[in-house]
Amino acid sequence: MPEQLWFTEILNHLFGSAVTSLLTSLGIHAKYPAAPIPNSLAMELLVFAFLLLLFILVRSRLSVDNPSGLQHMFESVEGFINGQSHEIIGHHSEGYTPFLAALLFFILFCNLIGLIPGFESPTAVPIVPLGCALCAFAYYQFQGFRHAGIGYLKHFAGPMPALALLMVPIELISHSARVLSLTVRLYANMFAGDMVTLVFISLVPIGVPILFLGLHMFVSLLQTYIFVLLTTVYLQGAVADEH
Amino acid sequence: MVDSDNRNDQNSDLKKSFWVQFARYSQLAFMLPAATVAGWLLGAALDRWLHTTWLYLVGILLGIAAGFIELIRTVMRDK
Repeated sequence: MPEQLWFTEILNHLFGSAVTSLLTSLGIHAKYPAAPIPNSLAMELLVFAFLLLLFILVRSRLSVDNPSGLQHMFESVEGFINGQSHEIIGHHSEGYTPFLAALLFFILFCNLIGLIPGFESPTAVPIVPLGCALCAFAYYQFQGFRHAGIGYLKHFAGPMPALALLMVPIELISHSARVLSLTVRLYANMFAGDMVTLVFISLVPIGVPILFLGLHMFVSLLQTYIFVLLTTVYLQGAVADEH
Repeated sequence: MVDSDNRNDQNSDLKKSFWVQFARYSQLAFMLPAATVAGWLLGAALDRWLHTTWLYLVGILLGIAAGFIELIRTVMRDK
């Protein structure tokens, strides 16, 4: 049985048997039938529920005359993403802001939740960054097809038709490598951040860990930014007209 | 006044492009090995599927080429 966080224990206590029977009916054998929900999924669900509540709260208090601090904060983040995607993609970039903002908030809160005692960052488990990278991959491919139709496939053939046979596998590998690089970067940074903090907490429990918690927070912000920025760059490549 | 506004705008643009370039170039360190590994994985999957033993080598070589093409593309984009 793996070590469970208190929130995972509650989820497994409430929904464990239902999840196990659902997995069994789907033909999947749970590794730990008594605790089928891992810590990473529990933390993801917690972040999801928190964000949902936060957005409902902001939505219910939206005001043009007297905007709240929370509304200001969300508006500035939205403005920041909008400005950045406009800088990279150009005109008509507004349509991508909701996805990029959702990705940013989800990854940011998944990274930062590890700073709270009793919780851990789900992004320090490879399957979670992989899920985010696959979402980004599916989204920019979908937008590419939406923008150029079947002509989007020409992106994979390269600029010279004579080299198309060589370029198609190279482009396929290049696109798969984007998923791998997004996953490994986020996972490795968050895992290393957690490990460094844990090591210093066990070595010098007073004072020094604060420095590393600060470093972890900086890495969390930076990695979230890089993930969203690279997704925007990939989106730009998919919807660009000059290819 | 207008000059100082323009200068502020230029500074902010420079800052923005610095972060965009930082993210683009930071991915190159990951992209080269990631493309090689992705090529190897795809080649190995094809080997399993087609019962061959050499496609993983082709995958690795194409992966290395893909990594370098991505590197050159990124450098050329900012020229």
